[in-house]
Amino acid sequence: MEVVASELKPDALIARIRAPRRNKNSSPFVLDLSVEVPPGITILFGPSGAGKSTLLDCVAGLARPEEGRIALGEAILFDTATRVELPPQQRKIGYLFQSAALFPHMSVEENVAYGLDKLPANVRQEQVREILDAFRVEGLRARRPGEISGGEGQRVALARSLVTAPRALLLDEPLTGLDAELKSAIVDDLRAWNAAKRIPILYVTHSREEVDALGERVIALENGHVVSTGAPMDVLDAPRRKRLAQAAGFENLLAGTVLDLREADGVMRVRLGETACEIEVPLGYAAVGTHVRVAIRAGDILLATEQPRGLSARNVLEGQIASLEKRGTMIIARVDCGVSFVAHVTPGAVRALELTAGRRVWLVLKTHSCHLVE
Amino acid sequence: MLLVVVLAALSSARPASGQEIAVAAAADLKFAMGELAANFEKQTGNKVNVTYGSSGNFFSQIQNGAPFDLFFSADLEYAKKLEAGGQAEPGTLYNYAVGRIVIWMPPGTKVDLNAQGMNALLDSAIRKIAIANPVHAPYGRSAVAALKKAGIYEKVEPKLVYGENISQAAQFVQSGNAQAGFIALSLAISPAMKDSGEMWLIPAELHPPIEQAAVVVRNSQKKEAAKAFLEYIKSAAGKAVMDRYGFTTPPASEVKRKAA
Amino acid sequence: MAGPLLLSLKLAAVVALLLLVVGVTAASWLAFSRWRGKFLLESVVALPLVLPPTVLGYYALMSMGPRGPLGKLWIAFFGHGLAFTFGGLVLASVLYSLPFTVQPLTAAFGSVDRKLLDASAVLGAGKLRTFWRVILPLSIPGVVTAVVLSFAHTMGEFGVVLMVGGNLAGVTRTASIAVYDDVQALDYAAANQTALVLLLISFAVLCAVYGMNRRVWKLWPAS
Repeated sequence: MEVVASELKPDALIARIRAPRRNKNSSPFVLDLSVEVPPGITILFGPSGAGKSTLLDCVAGLARPEEGRIALGEAILFDTATRVELPPQQRKIGYLFQSAALFPHMSVEENVAYGLDKLPANVRQEQVREILDAFRVEGLRARRPGEISGGEGQRVALARSLVTAPRALLLDEPLTGLDAELKSAIVDDLRAWNAAKRIPILYVTHSREEVDALGERVIALENGHVVSTGAPMDVLDAPRRKRLAQAAGFENLLAGTVLDLREADGVMRVRLGETACEIEVPLGYAAVGTHVRVAIRAGDILLATEQPRGLSARNVLEGQIASLEKRGTMIIARVDCGVSFVAHVTPGAVRALELTAGRRVWLVLKTHSCHLVE
Repeated sequence: MLLVVVLAALSSARPASGQEIAVAAAADLKFAMGELAANFEKQTGNKVNVTYGSSGNFFSQIQNGAPFDLFFSADLEYAKKLEAGGQAEPGTLYNYAVGRIVIWMPPGTKVDLNAQGMNALLDSAIRKIAIANPVHAPYGRSAVAALKKAGIYEKVEPKLVYGENISQAAQFVQSGNAQAGFIALSLAISPAMKDSGEMWLIPAELHPPIEQAAVVVRNSQKKEAAKAFLEYIKSAAGKAVMDRYGFTTPPASEVKRKAA
Repeated sequence: MAGPLLLSLKLAAVVALLLLVVGVTAASWLAFSRWRGKFLLESVVALPLVLPPTVLGYYALMSMGPRGPLGKLWIAFFGHGLAFTFGGLVLASVLYSLPFTVQPLTAAFGSVDRKLLDASAVLGAGKLRTFWRVILPLSIPGVVTAVVLSFAHTMGEFGVVLMVGGNLAGVTRTASIAVYDDVQALDYAAANQTALVLLLISFAVLCAVYGMNRRVWKLWPAS
């Protein structure tokens, strides 16, 4: 169990739980973690099956941890020690599901007004109108969920959750499947809304772009444990776990052995696999001879058709193009240097350099593009 | 005539051994027929499969070709109608018994049935009286006739409930849902009911005689065996069984009144 | 002829409405409970599907009698028995048609997207409000099916009515019993008449309800 140390804001969401995983399809394990979510947007990042949805369900009151404590500021929502367990109805926490979960038989307006039934009619109407405006879906108020698009649906769902003035907000991969422009528009709206309210927002995603766009903080989750927290760059650009590395977009994961350490330069040399390839990577906590894993993004690899000279990059490996595969607007090049690498190049580059399978090329890797992974 | 009968009996007994005949019998014959069938089977090796039910029902079914070999009706009229309609084997109509009805009450009834007879039904403790449906059950019709003759029908009519047949009428009373019922004497003195209630025999003058007749069905494939069974019923041994179970058999004889 | 038919209609209507209340209660428990012994209740509810109506009628008759548990209570309260009354028929019919109501309702409630129920809870709605505003409106086709099935099933009921009814005109002589009586009395003309009208009424009711059901589907697309 890791305890996250950070400034304790009075209305932060704190959860320390141990709970069995809710999803029956994957292998069962136990969620055992402690997180703290201060006001602002915190990303919960991890591969599928890490336990993110289970954590959200526990915080919302839709699942019961075996043991633990969940508090929002001074309000205790769940505590096995004192046998407190507030039902979801009383927790005042907003929850946006991946599927929006709008009530299909009610209009947009009725959906948004659903949580406000205890208010007098005129107050309710006013608040509904305001939030529909804020999220730019005023014109859809009379429509049914079946008559609006996915992006509009998520906006409405967001409005529905926020109009009740929750003390915290949980979002479970709400922007999956939406196009980039739509995503950023919704993200902007959420940001704007939160700038005023400043409640803890826990946002689950496995998409890197969303992390970069939104995150003030990232909590990385894997197999039910918190493996890392901090600023997005720190957590995602230096992943310490293999699966996290794969989730964060490191296409190359290479096994290697430490050859020697150069502490003065802050680097160490690693032999890749059983080959003669050696690369220089940032200095890590490893003794000579230990086995390590090196993660490199495909987008960080350069290809050259002539042996390059005068480069600052310390790693230049000679090899042969094994295959070129087009994927969308990108070409995936597999290069064999004794060890197989995956690199991304643009179609323009392929044309200009006349790259073909079998062509002799040189790979260029910056030291700092290589990350040590456990 | 006797010779012919004897010869017929003798000749039909042997070749028909091992056969099974299907008998449709009125509900009131339940216990009598059981014994008669068993005896017949022991004697001749022919099995008798009996189905009990309401005579009206069987009549309709036989009219429509139901595969019975023999029909023991609780009402002479049905047998006659079958004969007239050509569904009965000519010359087989036989008046096998005269039925009697009783008022039957479960034990512990606060009404003194023995002393009051029919008038016991007027008591307020008797809320429901079960009879067989007079529309199609001869025992039901006789019950209604007796009530009318005794002059209490109008008073009693609101309390009447109608069973499908006398067995169901008996079931209504035995389950306690009706406090009294009109059932066949044969049913009341049967082993199943004999010791579980009180009965009062309705005097024969109060209702037209319930003449019960049997016929061999014309479409039967086993007429010889069927006729043989009928002969057994007619024999002295058969009559003795009938008597024991509360049926008056011709020639008319006094039915023994069993005290409760 | 009108008497027994009206009685059948009355019985079917009363039973369908009563079963709606009982059925909704039972079905919402069955759809959402996670008790391990749930299968026991499901089996009990399904019993009338497999039991012959005469068996049901027999037990009903016994329990309504003064020695039966129900009979004792009823007589203590009301002073008279339950058999041979309209009330007795209603009770027996409710038992007999129970699965025809509970099963479609359970299926309809259970098919409501669980995420909608979660959303409702998180937005502050208690169980009752969630049921009334989310589950029920999305289950309308199931409710209609349940009501229609139990109505139609009760209209056609014979065996149970025969066992506990006592064939009293205007009280327990339903159309199905009347047809049977007429056949017994060899009055085939009357039997035919009653039977035909019964058939037409049942068919008309079913048509009306299924036709209306389709329009209801348009109002509430259970997406």
